[in-house]
Amino acid sequence: MADSVDPALTSSSATASVPAQPASTIANPPSQQTQNLPIRESKSAKSPAPSDKQSGKNKDASKPAAAGSDGAAAAATDKPLTPAELKKKAKAEKAARRAKEKLAKEAGGAGAAGGSAPGAIQGRPPATPKKDAAGGASQKGQKAVQPRRGSAPTGQTAADEPTKKEDKSVAVFGHLYGQPRRTTIAGAGKEVHSAVLALGLQLRDYVVCGSSARCVATLLAFKRVIESYTTPLGTSLSRHLTTHLSHQITYLSTCRPLSISQGNAIRALKLAISSVDPSTPELSAKATLCEFIDNFIREKITVADQVIAQSAAQKVQNGDVIVTFAGSSIVKQTLLTAHKQGKRFRVSIIDSRPLFEGKNLARALANAGLDVQYSLVHGISHAIKDATKVFLGAHAMTSNGRLYSRVGTALVAMSAKERAGGVEVPVIVCCETVKFTDRVALDSIVVNEIADADELVSAQPLPQVTGLVDPEVPTKPDNKKGGKGASSAPKPDPSASSLNPSPSPLSNWKENTNLQLLNIMYDVTPAEYVDMVVTEMGSLPPSAVPIVHRMSTNL
Amino acid sequence: MPSTTLALTPGLGSFLKSLKTHPVETSIENLISLLKRRQIRHSRSCATATAYLLRHVVSVCKTSDPLKLIERVQTVGRRLVAAQPREMVVGNVVRRVLGLIRDEAEDDHEAEFALSEAGSESQPQTPRAFDDPSSSLPLDRDMLSLRGEGAERSSSRPTLHSMFSLLSHPEAEFSPISTPGTQSPNGRMPGHGPGSKDVKAEVLEGIGEIIDELGQVDDQIASYALEHIHSNEIILTHTSSTTVQKFLLKAATKRKFTVIHAESFPNNHENTHATVSGNPLGDDDELSADAFQKPLIALGITVILIPDSAVFALMSRVNKVILGTHSVLANGGLVAAAGTRVIARAAKVHQTPVVVVSGVYKLSPVYPFDFDSLIEYGDASKVLPYEDGDLVDQIDVQNPIYDYVPAELVDLYITNLGGHAPSYLYRIVSDHYRKEDISF
Repeated sequence: MADSVDPALTSSSATASVPAQPASTIANPPSQQTQNLPIRESKSAKSPAPSDKQSGKNKDASKPAAAGSDGAAAAATDKPLTPAELKKKAKAEKAARRAKEKLAKEAGGAGAAGGSAPGAIQGRPPATPKKDAAGGASQKGQKAVQPRRGSAPTGQTAADEPTKKEDKSVAVFGHLYGQPRRTTIAGAGKEVHSAVLALGLQLRDYVVCGSSARCVATLLAFKRVIESYTTPLGTSLSRHLTTHLSHQITYLSTCRPLSISQGNAIRALKLAISSVDPSTPELSAKATLCEFIDNFIREKITVADQVIAQSAAQKVQNGDVIVTFAGSSIVKQTLLTAHKQGKRFRVSIIDSRPLFEGKNLARALANAGLDVQYSLVHGISHAIKDATKVFLGAHAMTSNGRLYSRVGTALVAMSAKERAGGVEVPVIVCCETVKFTDRVALDSIVVNEIADADELVSAQPLPQVTGLVDPEVPTKPDNKKGGKGASSAPKPDPSASSLNPSPSPLSNWKENTNLQLLNIMYDVTPAEYVDMVVTEMGSLPPSAVPIVHRMSTNL
Repeated sequence: MPSTTLALTPGLGSFLKSLKTHPVETSIENLISLLKRRQIRHSRSCATATAYLLRHVVSVCKTSDPLKLIERVQTVGRRLVAAQPREMVVGNVVRRVLGLIRDEAEDDHEAEFALSEAGSESQPQTPRAFDDPSSSLPLDRDMLSLRGEGAERSSSRPTLHSMFSLLSHPEAEFSPISTPGTQSPNGRMPGHGPGSKDVKAEVLEGIGEIIDELGQVDDQIASYALEHIHSNEIILTHTSSTTVQKFLLKAATKRKFTVIHAESFPNNHENTHATVSGNPLGDDDELSADAFQKPLIALGITVILIPDSAVFALMSRVNKVILGTHSVLANGGLVAAAGTRVIARAAKVHQTPVVVVSGVYKLSPVYPFDFDSLIEYGDASKVLPYEDGDLVDQIDVQNPIYDYVPAELVDLYITNLGGHAPSYLYRIVSDHYRKEDISF
């Protein structure tokens, strides 16, 4: 079929374009080129359409166009055409022909332009149908190029770099990739207080980890900021301190996105600052604010934790087997309180990669003399088998009653609710009201935090590795550097991995096209998996979260 | 003949090599200790080793009597199963070999008594009905001719002999051509009684077929891939199952989709990372054989590696969960790598279909009542390394290797025979194992 169509077309296109372009492609009636020729014609007609406007850059514009048309032509000759494609092709050819005829007329008027850039003029008249076609063609061209890139083993050029970096963000979570976390304090504004600088790095390295801990640490750092703050001339404290603080906050959020509790605390602090009477002398205003911070920490977190631990510990009974996930400070406190009350129970801790927060919890509980069992996420169904209660910590509770917590929490809650025996295990969440938020989330994708994917590469510190004091902290900077170096260096060093005694297969995953690592921090547990939320204001069903949140913010 | 399965793992490879040189009893002990020490791990390696060992056992067996053959295979099988009761494929292969011998014995019986039916009878019985017809056809003819020969030579009933030769004569001409080809690999059968030769040869033939099946099973399963994976789907899988990888690779040749790969942390994450990135580990078993195999990313498939904990978070975007398995039970449940159960459960909660790919050889005639007995626990230091030695003393660290996944969490099984509902599996079990061999 293609053969029957082509001769007519080529002849017509040849006749049409002769006046405009006496150039090489058409002058010799090509026998094998007949198939790609029409496409190339139409392509050259449409792709440089933008160059029409900026006529000076004709040469630049024509280059990619040619590349695209080449790719498209290659793609077209590769595949046998379906009838639909043939039809499309025919249409495009027809349009091209018309364009040329029109062009020929125009060229008759203004012949000078035709010689230099025939494509540019051809492109203009039949605007709409061709633009889509051009889009399609350019896509085709890309597609034709991509496999080549994938198959090429080593010869990666610098041009590939940017596309590869984009590759690494998982499409579904695209909205969550902000700028990468700050790695050093270099570039931080001079207004940022040293306590905040230090805290930022601690937050980034998970030295200060956990919603409450981050909240308290931030407030304490801000207290020092306020203590060392002097109001510049010409402004009032209530006005200027807020902006001063926001520099600190911005710095902190570049180290790690702020937690819900941090956000709530900062909001309360800002409210307190703005309500300072401008007439109060600076010293007493600062004293008031520091007192406010102390009160906030005490009321919202320290005492709240005690209240929660007391009331949650009442839920623990002799002989219970309590399952918990990762390392929540409030759950730890609860279990220790219950233990102090003389209750005999067993704790089963489920932990997850890459943070292994449960290890610290296990250590603390074991040191206190509790009976502790420890397993990882893969052992959930075994751990939950003989569980009688599940205690979970929270990063936040959303307004639609869902629990937003360390990734994996939802699996534990789900297993508790869907146990094979048919007996549901109660799931109890311990959460301060400062972690309540008015945000809502239906799934774990809308709201989340994406951590550095390189954290996943070093699996567990290998048992035989020497010279590693603490598996968690020291390896991380190394990884980061490794990852950075690999991605920024134009040529990956293949010897680096082979010199390494036992390199992880993922050690240079960033060079593998199409491979992505996803390290999300949180997931959202459906409200129906949560039976009870223990807060300092009492034990509530998850549906009560928005009401409590409104009450506590309106106080 | 199955040269592809030969050099699989150090454990399996060295065992298969030693099989040729060592006496039978040593080989049996060897395999038992390999199984006990878990140096042979993967289902397919275990099955292959068992099949080769049984072929060896049968071929050097001096006895001619099928009953004695059965007894011999049973004793060996019992010892193997006792060595590693959770490796159910070992029992499965033994059962199939037993079934094979029984079939041949019955066939032989019928051949001797009801000769007029011998030709038609052998058709459904001998090839054990699971292999593709193309390969079974010449074999079948071959067996028929062999049987003819045997009957001719034993010739206890001269009157029948003439009638039988009437049937077999035209085909006897095939035997000199075809028998050397098919028998040469297992051709260590010095002078036995002439009457036994046919049964034994056919049994060896049948075991050869089982070995062949073990070699081809992944590709056969993969041939169903295009029916189940469509364009732009998001597939979630878990651990580095070769079967699943081949399945996905097959689909990747035609379709574009996205794979989310959960790494199955402490027990198999290194293999998973190797599978995903295409950088073979080098030292590890199973994968090294398939290391030449391209990773999915080379075919333009986007692979997202996630920790196991993120499964629930991503499940809402997943279109299909494809899982490999360790063994499949007759009630439709399965024993698979630890963590599979939560994944299947999370899929159920999100109404995502769960597809399990598994060779028929993993299908075990076991109805589980005590699930805990199916579960194996592994090295605790993988969960908590020795750096945390102080902790290890104080707490109880658990590292389950397998999970039992109940049948209601599985939507579809894909075996080398096709797709089945979990509720249909008992039927395949009864097709493949004879009742008297279920507990041998």
